[in-house]
Amino acid sequence: MQLLWQILVNGVLLGGLYALMALGLVLVWGVLNIVNLAHGALIMLGAYACYYLFTGLGWDPFAALPVAMALLFCLGYLIQRYVLNLVIRGPMFNTLLITFGLEVVITYVAQIAFSADFRTVNPSYAGANFNFFGATVPLARLLAFGVALGLTFGLWLFLEHTRIGRAIRATAQNLIGARLYGVNPRHLYALTFGIGAALAGAAGTLYGVVSQINPYIGSGLTGKSFAIAIIGGLDKSIYVLAGGLFLGIVEAMTALYIGPTYTDVVSFGILVLVLIVRPTGLLGRTA
Amino acid sequence: MKFSTKLALAGVGIALLATVPWWGSAVLVQFGINALILATLAQSWNIIGGYTGYPSFGNSVFYGLGGYGVAIAMVQYGLPFPIGLAIGISLAVGFAILLGLPVLRLRGHYFAIATLGLAEVMTAIVSNLEIAGRNVGLILPLVKGDALFFELSLILLVVTTLAVMWISRSRFGFGLIAIRENEQAAAVMGVNTTLYKIVAFALCSVFAAVAGGIHAYWITYLDPGSAFDVALNVKMIIMAVFGGPGTIFGPVLGAFVLSAISEILAAKVTSLASIFFGIVIVAAIVFMPRGFADLVRRFRQSGWRYFQENIRTYRV
Repeated sequence: MQLLWQILVNGVLLGGLYALMALGLVLVWGVLNIVNLAHGALIMLGAYACYYLFTGLGWDPFAALPVAMALLFCLGYLIQRYVLNLVIRGPMFNTLLITFGLEVVITYVAQIAFSADFRTVNPSYAGANFNFFGATVPLARLLAFGVALGLTFGLWLFLEHTRIGRAIRATAQNLIGARLYGVNPRHLYALTFGIGAALAGAAGTLYGVVSQINPYIGSGLTGKSFAIAIIGGLDKSIYVLAGGLFLGIVEAMTALYIGPTYTDVVSFGILVLVLIVRPTGLLGRTA
Repeated sequence: MKFSTKLALAGVGIALLATVPWWGSAVLVQFGINALILATLAQSWNIIGGYTGYPSFGNSVFYGLGGYGVAIAMVQYGLPFPIGLAIGISLAVGFAILLGLPVLRLRGHYFAIATLGLAEVMTAIVSNLEIAGRNVGLILPLVKGDALFFELSLILLVVTTLAVMWISRSRFGFGLIAIRENEQAAAVMGVNTTLYKIVAFALCSVFAAVAGGIHAYWITYLDPGSAFDVALNVKMIIMAVFGGPGTIFGPVLGAFVLSAISEILAAKVTSLASIFFGIVIVAAIVFMPRGFADLVRRFRQSGWRYFQENIRTYRV
C-alpha cells in the first residue's frame, strides 16, 4: 500500500510534466492541422538552453525557463513563417514529412553543437525532498509539476481571454471566417507555432531538471506527447492535463509491476487501443 | 519516354549492375548491397505508402522480423538460409495482418502515428526474448562472398519492382489507387477496401522481410537496435518520396541518388549525412512535393517556374 501510494505520487508528478510536453503539440495540431514530429526535438533544445544557462551563467533552471521559452518562441515563429507556411495547404502527408525532416536536422545539428554526451542539470536543491503522507516527494519534481500546471492554466487563460487567443481559436474553427475579421493567417500561424515551441521549451527545461538529456531524446518525447494527445483528445487543454496524468501513472505502474523496459510498449499499446476504440480521445467529444 | 524504351533501359541497367561484383572494388560492392537493400525497402514502402496512400512509419519492423526469422532459424535450430527466410516472411506477414486489421482502419495522421512507435515497441519486446538473444543479439554463421549477396539483393529489387509494375497495371493496383484517392468512393465502387489494404500491407512486408533476412545473413550479426532501426524508416520513406511515391521507378531512383550522396557525405562526418537527409526532405517537400518523377515530367513545360508554382499552390 505504501509502495502503491509512492508510485501514484511519482506518476502524478511525472504526469504534470508530460501534460506540458503534449500541450504545445496539441495546440499546433488543433489550430494548424500539423502533426509536428519535430516537437520532441524542440523540447530537447529547450533542455539544452536551460543546461547552458545553468552551467555557463549559473542561472537557476527555473529562472532560465522564461529565457528558454523566448528563444524557442523565436525559433518556432521563424520555422513556421519561412518553412511550414510554404507547404501548409499541401497534402497532410507532406506536412507530416517536412516536420520529420526538421526533426532530423535539429537532432543532428544538436549532436554536432552539444556532443552526444548525457547531460544533467543539478541545482543545489536537486537531492532535497520531503515526506508527504508517507511518500517521498523530490522538491525539484514538485516545483516542475507546479510550473507545468501553472503554464497549462496560463495557456488556457491566454486562449480564452486575450485578443490573440481568440484569433487563434477562431482560426482553428474557420480560417476563412477568421480572415474576414482581419486575421493575417501567415502571422497568426507563425505565432501559434511559436507558442507551441515555447511550451516545448518550457517542458524541456523542466525535463532537464528531472532527467538526463542528450540530443536523441526528441523522437521518444514526440511519441509520448502523441500518446498523451490521443488519450486526452484535442479539444481542451484540461483534457491534455488528464491525459498526461493518466500516462504518468500508467508508466510508473508499468515500471514497477512489469518492468522498466516495457513502459514504451504499454504507452504505445494504450495509444493504439485508444486510436481504435475512441479516435477522438478518451475525454473528447464523439465525432 | 515510351514504356517499352523505359523497360529496355531498365533491362540494360540491371544487366550492367549484375556485372558490378566482377569489376567493382570491395567498397563499391558493399555500398551496392546497402543501396540495393534500401531501394528494395523504398520500393516495398511504395506499395502501401505510394499506391495505397497509407504512409506507414513502421516498416522497419518487417525488415527486423525478416532478419530475426533468418537468425533464429540458423543460429538456434541450425536450419538452412532459405528456410530461415521463409520463417522470416511468415513472421512478417503474420504480423502485418495482425497489425493491419486494427491499424489500417485509421486514416491520415492517425495511421502514421499508430505505426510510428512500432519500431521501439518491437525493440523492447525482442530485447526480452531468450530465443532472440535478448539485448546481446545473435551471431550468424559466416559466409564469405559479397558477390553472392549483391546478386541476391539485385534479384530481390528486380522482383519487388516487377511486383510494383504489376500493381500499377492490375485490377488490384487500381483498387489500391482508388483507395488512395477516395476510400469511400472506392468502397462504393465495390472495392473490398479492408481486404485490399491488408493484402497491400502484407505484400510490402514480404519484400521488407526478405531484405532484412539477406542483410542479416550478410552482416552475420543482429541485435534489436539495428534490426528495428528507426532511422531505416526515415530513409525508406525519404527515398520513396524524393523519387516519387506511386511511380514504378521513382523509389529506386531516389534510393540510388540519395544513397550515393549520403555515402559521400558520411565519408567525411557521419552526422553530416543525417543532416543532409533532413535538409533533403524539407527542400524536396517545399520545392517538389510530388517527387522527382513529377519534376522530370513537368520541368520541360514550365522550366524553373515549376518550383515557384509548387510553392504558390500550397503556401498560405
